[in-house]
Amino acid sequence: MASTDRSPVLEVRDLVTHYGDTEILHGVNMAVHEGEIMIIMGGSGSGKSTLLRYLLGLGIPTSGNIYILGKDITHLSAMEMHDLRKNMGVAFQGGALLSSMTVGENVQLPLYEHTGLDKKTMQIMARMKLEVVNLGGFENLMPAQLSGGMIKRAAVARAIVMDPKLMFFDEPSAGLDPVVAAELDELILRLRDAMQMTIVVVTHELQSAFKIADRITVLDKGNILMTGTVDEVHASKNERIQSLLNRRPSNEEISADEYMERLTRI
Amino acid sequence: MKINTREEGGYAIIELIGEVDLSCSPAARKQILACLKANRSLLVDLKAVTYIDSSGVASLVEGYQTAKKLNLKFGLIGVSDSAMSVLRLARLDKVFPIHANVKERLREDG
Amino acid sequence: MIFVLEQLGRRTVRAIEEAGYLFALLVEGFFWIICGTFYKQPVRIPSVFAQMMQIGIAAIPIVFVLSFAIGVMLAIQGIHTLKAFGAESQVVVGIAFSVTREFGPLITGILIAGRSGSALAARIGTMQVNQEIDALRVMGINPVRYLIAPALLAMLIMVPTLTFFSDIAGLFGGAVFSGIELGLSFDAYANQSIEVLEVDDIMQGLIKSVVFATIIVMVGVVNGFDVKGGAEGVGRATTRSVVLAISYIVIADMIFTYFLNR
Repeated sequence: MASTDRSPVLEVRDLVTHYGDTEILHGVNMAVHEGEIMIIMGGSGSGKSTLLRYLLGLGIPTSGNIYILGKDITHLSAMEMHDLRKNMGVAFQGGALLSSMTVGENVQLPLYEHTGLDKKTMQIMARMKLEVVNLGGFENLMPAQLSGGMIKRAAVARAIVMDPKLMFFDEPSAGLDPVVAAELDELILRLRDAMQMTIVVVTHELQSAFKIADRITVLDKGNILMTGTVDEVHASKNERIQSLLNRRPSNEEISADEYMERLTRI
Repeated sequence: MKINTREEGGYAIIELIGEVDLSCSPAARKQILACLKANRSLLVDLKAVTYIDSSGVASLVEGYQTAKKLNLKFGLIGVSDSAMSVLRLARLDKVFPIHANVKERLREDG
Repeated sequence: MIFVLEQLGRRTVRAIEEAGYLFALLVEGFFWIICGTFYKQPVRIPSVFAQMMQIGIAAIPIVFVLSFAIGVMLAIQGIHTLKAFGAESQVVVGIAFSVTREFGPLITGILIAGRSGSALAARIGTMQVNQEIDALRVMGINPVRYLIAPALLAMLIMVPTLTFFSDIAGLFGGAVFSGIELGLSFDAYANQSIEVLEVDDIMQGLIKSVVFATIIVMVGVVNGFDVKGGAEGVGRATTRSVVLAISYIVIADMIFTYFLNR
């Protein structure tokens, strides 16, 4: 599915970011090609959530460039960014549906704000997307009346209502039971296959990552350890990657002095 | 996007050509609804559609429903693969009467 | 000593930064109200109306009750004070001026700060916590246009309107008590009030109320956007926004009163 001859849909070059005085990402490079599902994997504190924020254009990096659909979003005017966002969909971890609106209104919101389409057309489009995520008939409920899995699926419906070329998922399976999580994985695959979307998924869930990934980028402490297919990641000899795969805390080699120092440091 | 209209076998036929996206689907919608309002049974020809987004599909859905209300016949012909996958995603491939071309449709009509 | 100075310096810098940020937000809010349509991102009229209902219409009963009570209290105090000079009937003048210039706008401002400023901070804070603000931004929906501009516009319309209403309710309260205590007829009271009041007096109150409206929105919004740390953070921001808004309103009122009466 992933072919390297086409220009990437998303490309990150030497991305360095800071939070306050702390450097979080230390020069990240990655490329996502058209029609592939790229998983960004890492433990907590690996910087994967930070990376996602910058990919979404929610922060200004210290240095480096992020190209989305050929445009450098770190140097884009507000109006250009506004137009580019119509081609990007995001499903946030908690869904982030607007709680003051019904599910249907939430899904229609991007259409309402960005297109001059007829009301009837917008309504049908929203309902179609709700059908895609298996939420047909739920449009008149408020987000508070939905379960966690349903909220996430409704958020996906909202994210794809403009038929974006590039779609981001933040921890799609977090907080869901395995059955519901599997449904969401299946949905992600369906979006790639039926709508030819390019999809970036940030997750720490290994199972779902291996199930849906075309390629995986492993992030650790703000550095990319490797990028490769599922098999390549499995075959990696890198200790940190292996410990991540086996869910073992890695035994960092530190001296006794250093250890005592760490325990007693004020 | 371009729109061609013609007549065949008692049907008005609207042929959509090229990309049907947010910017031009309202034009297609207008044409489809106008045709149905004029009390004509309608086939929408999608064989030359390179891309159709959900606003285009939504217009087809509205056409289907309007035709039903007015007791007119409505169908799609020559649906391309890319259009088909979009229809399939929303499970609409089973709902629309879809035929390869006008002749097939007429044969089925009897 | 140096530590204290350093602390003071840092706080000053932060305060200036915050003021700058606040001002930038305000300018952006007005930008969307005025130019939004031109950029095909208009401020939605229905949401302005929804806000106006919440801020204004729903507050009418409480504004009436409090303003009426203030009017009565002014009458009580005024008559009591003026009795010493045998000039009880002059109470009408005192009530007329203090209600229109001072108490009308002030009581309305404080009330709306407590009622709607806090609601605004809570709403935006909750949205911030739930990533709804981020969601708006990635959908290409500017949160300032979508959330702040309607609230700002609604507040700028409703606070002066309520202030005017409060003026009338306050004068009415004064009239009722004066009528009972001094046997002053309602017509006589009204005529005398209209005679002494000039357009300037009412305008002074209304100008203040516009400033108060801006303070309420901006304090609520800034505190809402600044929320960190879940529901608890939202609660803190809400409280903070009420306390700050009321403090700023009272201080602004004092400054205004000083300059407008020179």
